[in-house]
Amino acid sequence: MLLQSHDLTKSFGGLVAVNQLSLKVEKGTILGIIGPNGSGKTTFFNLITGMLPSDSGKVIFNGQEITKLRPHRIARLGVGRTFQIPAPFSKMTVLENVMVSAFLHTSSMKTAKKKAEEVLKKVGLDEKADFQVLNVTLEDRKRLELARALAIEPILLLLDEVMSGLTPVEVKSAINLIKQMHHQGLTIIVVEHVMDVILSLCDRVAVLDYGRKIAEDTPQKIVNHPEVIRAYLGERYRARG
Amino acid sequence: MPLKNAHTQPHTSAPSWRWALLGLALLIAFLLPWPLSPLWIRIATEVIMWAGLAQSWNIIGGYTGYLSFGHGAFFGVGAYMTGIVMLHLGWPFALGLLISGIAAALMAVIIGYPTLRLRGAYFAIATWAFGEMIRQIATILEITGGAFGMQLPSYLNLPFFYYLFLLVTGLTYLTTYLLLERSPFGYKLLAIREHEEAAEMVGVDTVTIKIKAFALSAFFPGVLGGIYAYWVTYIHPDSVLGAQLTDFMVVMAFLGGIGSLWGPFLGAVVVQLVNRVLWLVWGEGTFYLIIIGAAICTVVLFIPSGIIGLLQSRIFLPGTAWKEIRKKVKW
Amino acid sequence: MLIDGLLIGGLIIVVGIGFSLCFGVMHIVDFAVGEWVMLGAYTGFILVRYFGHDPMIYLPIVFLIFCALGWAIYPLIYRAVSGKRHNPVLMGLVFTFGLSILAKGGALSVWGYHIQSITTWLSGKSLALGPLTIPALRFSGFLFGILITLLLMLFLYKTRLGITIRATAQDREMANLLGTDVRKVGALVYSLYAGVTGMSGILIGALFSIHAAMGVKYCTMAFFVVVLAGMGYVPGVIIAGLILGLLQSFVGVYIGGRYNLLALFMVMYGVLLITPKGILRRGI
Repeated sequence: MLLQSHDLTKSFGGLVAVNQLSLKVEKGTILGIIGPNGSGKTTFFNLITGMLPSDSGKVIFNGQEITKLRPHRIARLGVGRTFQIPAPFSKMTVLENVMVSAFLHTSSMKTAKKKAEEVLKKVGLDEKADFQVLNVTLEDRKRLELARALAIEPILLLLDEVMSGLTPVEVKSAINLIKQMHHQGLTIIVVEHVMDVILSLCDRVAVLDYGRKIAEDTPQKIVNHPEVIRAYLGERYRARG
Repeated sequence: MPLKNAHTQPHTSAPSWRWALLGLALLIAFLLPWPLSPLWIRIATEVIMWAGLAQSWNIIGGYTGYLSFGHGAFFGVGAYMTGIVMLHLGWPFALGLLISGIAAALMAVIIGYPTLRLRGAYFAIATWAFGEMIRQIATILEITGGAFGMQLPSYLNLPFFYYLFLLVTGLTYLTTYLLLERSPFGYKLLAIREHEEAAEMVGVDTVTIKIKAFALSAFFPGVLGGIYAYWVTYIHPDSVLGAQLTDFMVVMAFLGGIGSLWGPFLGAVVVQLVNRVLWLVWGEGTFYLIIIGAAICTVVLFIPSGIIGLLQSRIFLPGTAWKEIRKKVKW
Repeated sequence: MLIDGLLIGGLIIVVGIGFSLCFGVMHIVDFAVGEWVMLGAYTGFILVRYFGHDPMIYLPIVFLIFCALGWAIYPLIYRAVSGKRHNPVLMGLVFTFGLSILAKGGALSVWGYHIQSITTWLSGKSLALGPLTIPALRFSGFLFGILITLLLMLFLYKTRLGITIRATAQDREMANLLGTDVRKVGALVYSLYAGVTGMSGILIGALFSIHAAMGVKYCTMAFFVVVLAGMGYVPGVIIAGLILGLLQSFVGVYIGGRYNLLALFMVMYGVLLITPKGILRRGI
């Protein structure tokens, strides 16, 4: 078991964003997390990575409790994440952005640069390495998010809606990219709205609603789960109609 | 190709003409006291001191993005430390400088730990309150001479102080270049400035890095303050802890261009020269405040990257200037 | 002494409310707040000198003048804190900082370091209130503070526009999402704040004295009040203003007047470190 959360709880004022959430992620698998807006998916990521302190509960990563660790320590242990809204270091170049991550394992400029170039090649951004971040497209910023997370050499990767805002073609190439990383042995948690993505990527899917887990199963079973349809899928269809 | 800002491109190496220019500037700086009258040596010394102070502020304010509005405190503590060491302990000046620098840096570490948790305006107000607090303490304490200040043994040797300031300011720039422009430390600082949470997510120990930067940006003002105390021999709370100290550091760095190596230097030269020339022409006056105030507002509104940004965008070339004007007018 | 402190506090509350709203709506800390007070005082002084009459009748005029000034300057401030600017909060800070240097320099260049005062028909008179004798001017200053605070509170809590302003100050992003034109609200708040602050300047000038470098003192007090109140939270300002008055009086009486500023800065710094959202934890 690579990651486990036990009864993880976080509230903001009166609003319980994550409510006694227990999840397990097996090594080498892809877990999908779905749920309506505000159901606590991003908060869950923030709790795992230490960006927010939890009110109660535990997070265990690779056999070690990381609940109270500071974010940079958690990153060092091998948890990488991307931000839903890309959060690049705007006044630096694409390459420099990734170099910051590479400095986690080296303090040599040369090694960091080489490492960053490798990662950029992997996500297909090598040609834009010297671009200022301000001048790259949304898709490239999403790739940059990924590159930055990969450059810390993570064991577990948390992807927060990397597909949102992308065109269908871009989504396809992003899916391929994630599959490729998975084949190289990464364990991945994907938060996503696009059901097709979840279906084609994940081994298991957890459904959140108001911060609680209402279901967890294989993707095929999840789409037919009555409570899931009521809380999430149904709601979306209603919204469409 | 996108526009490149040289000051955010630490990994591109400078062309050789830049090194030649730097060598020439250093040579001029070395020979400067020869042709100058004592008055102008004094003015040149001030300019160099301010160049060092502005760069020190730039380390935390420009590179790290934490606006310290109480940076004058480190200068003042340095000045008083050297004064106390020389006057009350009878130790040599050099030791005084070392103690000044360390005391300022230590103070930065101690207050940095709680204060650097604050962001943006909160950090600015907190450092401002802290700086004023230090000034009030200096006016009350007995060891600092209270509001009357402190008279140090006098040592009249203009070139000595000129070269000493030159050395320390030179070290400030060298440190900034090596540590902030050419090393992982600098990259991490920029990352913190650009997006602190994202920096944490890729393993940057933001707390430690920020405190290091703050200590570094306090160390040099501490030393410069020590030299200043011995140079002017008489110090009091208004002269070494006055609000104008912080004001000028901020103004110079912004005018020249924050987050760049040479911006604060340009800012210091321009502001202090304008200040002194006006002083020579009109005598003790306050007119320079109007100019500085207007200049800083203009910079914020129209050229946020400062003089250095202006130079780099080659706006002075007729073609570029015309394009810029058309863009601005359309806006 | 105690009463004195409260009287000053009463005037600072007026300045603080505007200042706090500015921070809430525009996320701007106006380093020029003391200079608005100073300019207001000088405007009153000049009006009295050239047109005679009592300065109290100029209060509304100065209010209007400064509203207009605030309205005129606002587009610049908006430009400084918005758009594709790299770090809007810092830019805003430095911009108002530049404004304050500019205003201070201008005042020093025009009026020099002389200390002036405004005389009103109340000057020198005093009120007997039981065993206490209160200078009439101070009392009227206090009354003014209460009156303006009440008017501002009425405006902020009872009118639609006021409620919009408060909502924006508490959560700018949310207000933006709900369709509030934050830029317009900002313009309104800034000119209101400038007007009220300039107007308080006359009274402060009449109560104490006028000089070009007086701004920093009132800047300190305004910052103190707003930090204690929790930036952007209006009701806190009233409590914080009273605390300011009490603290000044207490330190003045029991510890010594020269510790007054030190106490202000220490409390301000301490509050920021311990509870940055103010003593009521309601700031933004």
